Amino acid sequence: MDQQYAIEMRGICKSFGSVAANKDIDLSVKPGEILALLGENGSGKTTLMNMLSGIYKPDSGSIFVDGREVSINSPEDAKKLGIGMVHQHFKLVDVFSAADNIWLGDDKSGPLLKKDRYDVIRDMAKKFGFDIDPRKKVYNMAVSEKQTLEIVKVLYYGARIIILDEPTAVLTIQETQKLFGVLRRMKASGHAIIIITHKLNEVLEISDRVAILRKGEYICTVDTSATNEQQLTEYMVGRKVELNIDRPVVDKTRPLLEIRDLTIKNDEGAVAIDHVNFYIRGGEILGVAGIAGCGQKELCEAIAGLRPIESGQMIHKGDNIVGLPPKAILEKGISMSFIPEDRLGMGLAPSMSITDNMLLKKYDQAKGPFVDRKTGRAEAKQVIADLEIVTPSTETPVRRLSGGNVQKVLLGREIKAGPNVIVTAYPVRGLDINSSYAIYDILNTQKKDGVGILFVGEDLDVMLGLCDKIMVLCHGKVMGVVHAHKTTKEELGLMMTGALDLTHKYEDKPAGIAKDSRIGENEEVEE
Amino acid sequence: MKNRQPLFHVVKREDSRPGRQLLAYVTAVVLALAVGAVLLAVQGVEPLTFYKQMLTMGIPGSRYPWRAVENFIKLFVPLLIVSLALALAFKMRFWNIGGEGQFIMGAFWAGFAAMKLGEILPKPAMVLVMALCGAVGGGIYGLFAAALKVRFGTNETLLTLMLNYIALYFLQFFAETKAPWNFFLDPESARPKFAKFPAGAQMVTVPIGPFNLNLSLVAALALCVLIFVYLNYTKRGYEISVVGDSPNTARYAGMRVGRIVLRTIFLSAALIGMAGAFHMSSAGVMSASPTNDVGWTGIVVAWLAKLNTLGILAAALLITVLQFGCQTASAAYPAIDANFANLLQGVILFIVLAADFFTRFRLVRRAGKEAVK
Repeated sequence: MDQQYAIEMRGICKSFGSVAANKDIDLSVKPGEILALLGENGSGKTTLMNMLSGIYKPDSGSIFVDGREVSINSPEDAKKLGIGMVHQHFKLVDVFSAADNIWLGDDKSGPLLKKDRYDVIRDMAKKFGFDIDPRKKVYNMAVSEKQTLEIVKVLYYGARIIILDEPTAVLTIQETQKLFGVLRRMKASGHAIIIITHKLNEVLEISDRVAILRKGEYICTVDTSATNEQQLTEYMVGRKVELNIDRPVVDKTRPLLEIRDLTIKNDEGAVAIDHVNFYIRGGEILGVAGIAGCGQKELCEAIAGLRPIESGQMIHKGDNIVGLPPKAILEKGISMSFIPEDRLGMGLAPSMSITDNMLLKKYDQAKGPFVDRKTGRAEAKQVIADLEIVTPSTETPVRRLSGGNVQKVLLGREIKAGPNVIVTAYPVRGLDINSSYAIYDILNTQKKDGVGILFVGEDLDVMLGLCDKIMVLCHGKVMGVVHAHKTTKEELGLMMTGALDLTHKYEDKPAGIAKDSRIGENEEVEE
Repeated sequence: MKNRQPLFHVVKREDSRPGRQLLAYVTAVVLALAVGAVLLAVQGVEPLTFYKQMLTMGIPGSRYPWRAVENFIKLFVPLLIVSLALALAFKMRFWNIGGEGQFIMGAFWAGFAAMKLGEILPKPAMVLVMALCGAVGGGIYGLFAAALKVRFGTNETLLTLMLNYIALYFLQFFAETKAPWNFFLDPESARPKFAKFPAGAQMVTVPIGPFNLNLSLVAALALCVLIFVYLNYTKRGYEISVVGDSPNTARYAGMRVGRIVLRTIFLSAALIGMAGAFHMSSAGVMSASPTNDVGWTGIVVAWLAKLNTLGILAAALLITVLQFGCQTASAAYPAIDANFANLLQGVILFIVLAADFFTRFRLVRRAGKEAVK
């Protein structure tokens, strides 16, 4: 061995109950190296990393840091060994300033909040080439700033081995590039970096080597320079996978849902959606791109009738749906499925069975005072069979299913109801390649049946492949509606940050207003 | 770094067999009795004899065994109904801890009806009117907290808790104020004292041989069945489950969450109020503290049973046996009083919670020492 490993894991096993999350895993990173850890959902990546950061303990196997065997019993131990982890969900205190968040967990700083902490932390951040304002409160920070703060925190505690769990999931393309710049600098200064991600193009771009896990088993480690997306996917899934997302061409109908000059406020009373225009035709998928939290949630809720609007029109097949209760909107055939960060917050009752969840929107249609569970069970069985949901039975609480299966239950129910407009937000959030493609197929089938789909997404590559058109939001304003096959990721990224506004690209046709609009149709008939 | 491996670690169980749960609960009760036995022995009481007397509730060898059963039922019925009603609210994650207040309000309005109409209405009708008055009185008292929560998002735990004390002192005001307008009091007595209800307001009993079956027991058992069906099979019960599980999802599914909360809490509080009315007409006279703590004990019963209707029947029975048994058994032992029942009840609850842990997790001895070298 020519160079000592910064960290080496040998024969690591960990099980939860009878489920083996990690089986006999070997992993090693040298100083000044970036290792990508790749695997589907539930392949044990996060479990493995949690053992490095002291959250779990391995059942068996050994961990070496700088060639010395160690036992990591707590996050405190990990910190002492110079291992730092940036979690997918940031561990920051919202009401504290940047500096205080770092100061808080520092052993050396003592019990007092010293006055010079702002300078100390600013100087330290500058040394690593970060630009942070130590006095800024976390709740005022954008996602990328929070992430930078997490990295600064880890470095401040003296970490030489840095683990990042899906750091790019919440970033725009430009922010991702900035992050990668930071990672390259850290690599140059001799840090060992492990990065977990689903996105193959990023793996190929940033990493030196790639370690692949599949269903808790270690598959192999390959040099990034000697591999490609296709090969990595095959290692990850275990068989050949078609990597292209289909975009079938379907005859489009006249606009099904038209949104005109819509303004919505968020829970805090600030404007979340600002004079937005767009429309969805049957047989088309309209993507909605934007940085997290720029009005997507409010828009979905407003369409479903869950959030009052300030002003504007929402016209479904020529009928006004503004002010209708959620139930009436459902009955018009508009279905909304929003997958929040915690996956279970809206749309499913987590402690109830699949059967009961199937009945959620139609329990009231049965005759008499009783709930018709017979139909629910039959539908549950069918959805389980159609979408290949893995579950012990139809009576299993949804909470017990894995993420992909939860999302399939939700989408399965929505499709079963036979809607003509589907609003779906983050339907593949956190899903692995296999499950994601299953969901794309489901959406495409619906599209072929003439359903209009509003797809709020995160991954630009996916949106470019799947959607017909993409609407970009920035701080609640539409930055333009572009054809997916004519645009680029760079262009979308610029629009997402507000640097590029294409709403007035064509003077004859403002973005988001259909030529064959149905708005005003009814009034004319009446006259 | 030193290698400290814990000897055991906790592993989540995959399956949840009902048999194991039952076993855990039985073990918990036995262990609690064992703890109680130690305490009894310390005070010089022979535990086995005490327990024997407690569990048989002094019925064998008594001159009036039927009387003991009748008194047992008087304790059992309010607890059972209140626990069922609380489970209804808890299932919706509405923390109604105002059982005491709703019970008192039910009792008050039932008493009001009895004093005003008792001479006019014939017996079965009068008892029915009392039950209705109690239900409406208790229900509206609960509805108040629910409406504030729905409208202004107030905290129902605090609100229902404080309403308990308002109800208690409201009733005490009537118990202690001697005045010509206060028709609750006995006009004959110089000191404030509640008057007996007219004969028509006494609970209906069905004589079976020497035993008088209290009709409220039949009502309570019927409620058991009704609530089981209501929660598990009806659309309204389905709504309660969804709202309890995730209010956002309920709104998303087009349910009117506010209305469901109001309806359910009214129902819950009305049943508690009705239990208060039953209790009044069984007692035949008002009391300044009529609840016997059922509003609190009902919470324990509902959670011991994990809101399961059949479980509530069993748990309410167990707790009543403890309370009533301790009362009768302690008559023979000056060192022990009825509070011993409360103590046992607390120990049981603690051990059941611990046992619950073992039904969901198990301890596994650390296997494989290869990591330690």
